Amino acid sequence: MSVIPTTGTAAFEPLAETAESISDSRPSQLLTKEDCLEIFNQLYLARYFDIRLIKEKKRGRLRGTLYSSHNQEAILVGALFGLKSTDWISPIHRDMPAFFLKDSKFQWDDPTRSGMSIEEVCAQVWGKVGSPGRARDNWSHIGSKSKRIIHSTSMLAGTIPVAAGVVYADRMNGGDAVVLTFNGEGSTAQGIFHEAVNFAAVHKLPVVTIVENNQWAYGTPVHLGCPTPDVADRAHGYGIPGLVADGQDVFDVYDKVMAAVEHARSGKGPSIVECKTFRAYGHGDHDDDRAMKYRPNDQIEAGRTRDPIAICRQSLIERGFLSGAEAEQYIAERKSASEATNDDFPPAVVDYLNRGIEFALNSPLPDAEEGAMWVFKENA
Amino acid sequence: MAAVAAEPTLVKKNYLTALREALIEEMRRNDQMICQGEDIGMLGGAFGVTEGLLEEFGSTRVIDAPIAEAAIIGTAVGMALNGKTVMAEMQFIDFISCGFDQIVNMMATYHYRTAGEVNLPVVVRGPAGGYGGGALYHSQMNEAWFCHSPGLRVVVPSTPYDAKGLLKAALRDGNPCIFFEIKELYRKNEIAEVLPDEDYIVPLGQAVVRKEGTDITFVSYGQSVYHCMSAAAELEKLGVSAEVIDIRTLVPLDEETIYKSLAKTNRVVVVNEAPMTCGFAGEIVARIANNAFNLLDAPPARVTRLDTPVPWVKPLELHVLPSVEKIVRVALQTAKY
Ligand SMILES: Cc1ncc(C[n+]2csc(CCOP(=O)(O)OP(=O)(O)O)c2C)c(N)n1
Ligand SMILES: [Mg+2]
Repeated sequence: MSVIPTTGTAAFEPLAETAESISDSRPSQLLTKEDCLEIFNQLYLARYFDIRLIKEKKRGRLRGTLYSSHNQEAILVGALFGLKSTDWISPIHRDMPAFFLKDSKFQWDDPTRSGMSIEEVCAQVWGKVGSPGRARDNWSHIGSKSKRIIHSTSMLAGTIPVAAGVVYADRMNGGDAVVLTFNGEGSTAQGIFHEAVNFAAVHKLPVVTIVENNQWAYGTPVHLGCPTPDVADRAHGYGIPGLVADGQDVFDVYDKVMAAVEHARSGKGPSIVECKTFRAYGHGDHDDDRAMKYRPNDQIEAGRTRDPIAICRQSLIERGFLSGAEAEQYIAERKSASEATNDDFPPAVVDYLNRGIEFALNSPLPDAEEGAMWVFKENA
Repeated sequence: MAAVAAEPTLVKKNYLTALREALIEEMRRNDQMICQGEDIGMLGGAFGVTEGLLEEFGSTRVIDAPIAEAAIIGTAVGMALNGKTVMAEMQFIDFISCGFDQIVNMMATYHYRTAGEVNLPVVVRGPAGGYGGGALYHSQMNEAWFCHSPGLRVVVPSTPYDAKGLLKAALRDGNPCIFFEIKELYRKNEIAEVLPDEDYIVPLGQAVVRKEGTDITFVSYGQSVYHCMSAAAELEKLGVSAEVIDIRTLVPLDEETIYKSLAKTNRVVVVNEAPMTCGFAGEIVARIANNAFNLLDAPPARVTRLDTPVPWVKPLELHVLPSVEKIVRVALQTAKY
């Protein structure tokens, strides 16, 4: 029995109509100047996080593989900005900034907000006890029940069914939460992707599946993993809307995701939002050099041209929210980690991350014995 | 010219090169062979085991597969059903779980349920093992899952020579095989060795004695073999002479080599990286207890991973995995029993 009310036997709405009706709106046009400047700042924050971690690693202060979200930040910022505190997210390896961007609108430092602190995220990256997962698993394999972030494993697409289960339970509890799951285009080939989206569609669950189509899955180009030009086309098969957003334009991502979120929240069911983007560097930093060989140079050049920071700046100028010297103050776009410096970013962004890193460096390693703890819940 | 004997190539090759050579030579030898897996073509594999294959054999025989382990294994079964030999790569052996049903219910049982009509030359191989800080999903030794599914060969080589010879044997065996490669050994220079120029195989089901000894027998495979060798060196200083057996293939298992050693030492410690409960170390101990009870002067012991996942950060990882110290400690207890 589905707990989601359906509209009798006419639960199925023809896709074309649904897709059109939900993609028409431009909620980004209603965002205030303050909102838009905050979005711009968050793009810098996500970019700086990426660049700074690479610098830290080059300096020998950090180990482990880094999966860069460079050039894909508009997807994270645009998708998360309009969420409510009660909503859930399920990020993957390329979405590290999502952990601290969630519910961060004008309140990066509020400890009660429904997102992780920069201290927690940095402690995780550094493998310290201050990590929400006490450094038991690496990189993005963290989450928080109270902050409504689903804990991922390595298994690609493996959290989509979990996300569907979470909002099924939320509906039973009378909630109106929506869950955003993030996935690479390559991961949509997993059987569990289909199984989970199908379940969500059958039960009209508020699951928004975001596909970050960055054209590459490790060393495999998109056409060897996905048979159609748009992954979003797959939505047809489930009778749900499939939208395509310009993943370089934070406001287009915001518009499409908000439309999908409202659709979901109002009980109309799941959708797929594909964001077109390009992986600027290697699959992980270990792959940076090889990625220069297996990917054509002109493709890399073209893929990096439409930098989300520059595109956002242009929109803000056009809307009259930024002008003159103020607009040109921080030029972080199209700079690699070795090219960019702290001066390319707003000081508040640099300070914020400095605090996180300092916390991480001072946080101790967990005790060895913790390796054997928490296999089972111990009943006192 | 013809009178001059070819210079033997004395280049030492690492474990990864040995595997790559096995694949290339088998692909040349058998034009009905296909390789498939994630990123094995254009990239040459996450670790480089398949480097050069796409260039030499083309994209019909070297398939950059979508990220779908169940399909990689299931389609391999279909290809093999229709006459092909298939190497299916798991990018990490941990991800084999996503193809589990196709392995244990489809592939493993095929020969059995067709009363021998169908045999499937499919080798599912991938990097395995801990000690590299790979965390929960890049560190597993899940070989027991497959030993527990009748119909599968299970192979775990520990040296470059064996890696090449066993992979070739597995590809020619005609039974489906799960082939565990130890990623920490891939590029380990200390174990690089000169390989024969001519074609060779290492037959499945033959254990090897890595070090002879008289007081106690270590039975092991994979990375643990090296831990046993180090433990044996420590024990030597303490006056205990340990024999080290590398079983190399779990299914089929060469029990004779173990019993022969036990006839000499009368004491045994089995070491592996997997969790203890229902692990293959337990299976070896059980067989010894059943078949060689009279040879034992002490209870057979095990050193395994604790019954936990493999955590990420070093102190935790080392806490749950077997160490040379733990092996020495248990060996001394067993020797003194
Ligand atoms: C089930 C599973 N198979 C394989 C892998 C190895 N792997 C990790 S990331 C990756 C590529 C993912 O590509 P995509 O989904 O497009 O995401 P992107 O990295 O491009 O953001 C692969 C093959 C994995 N983590 N899980
Ligand atoms: Mg991708």
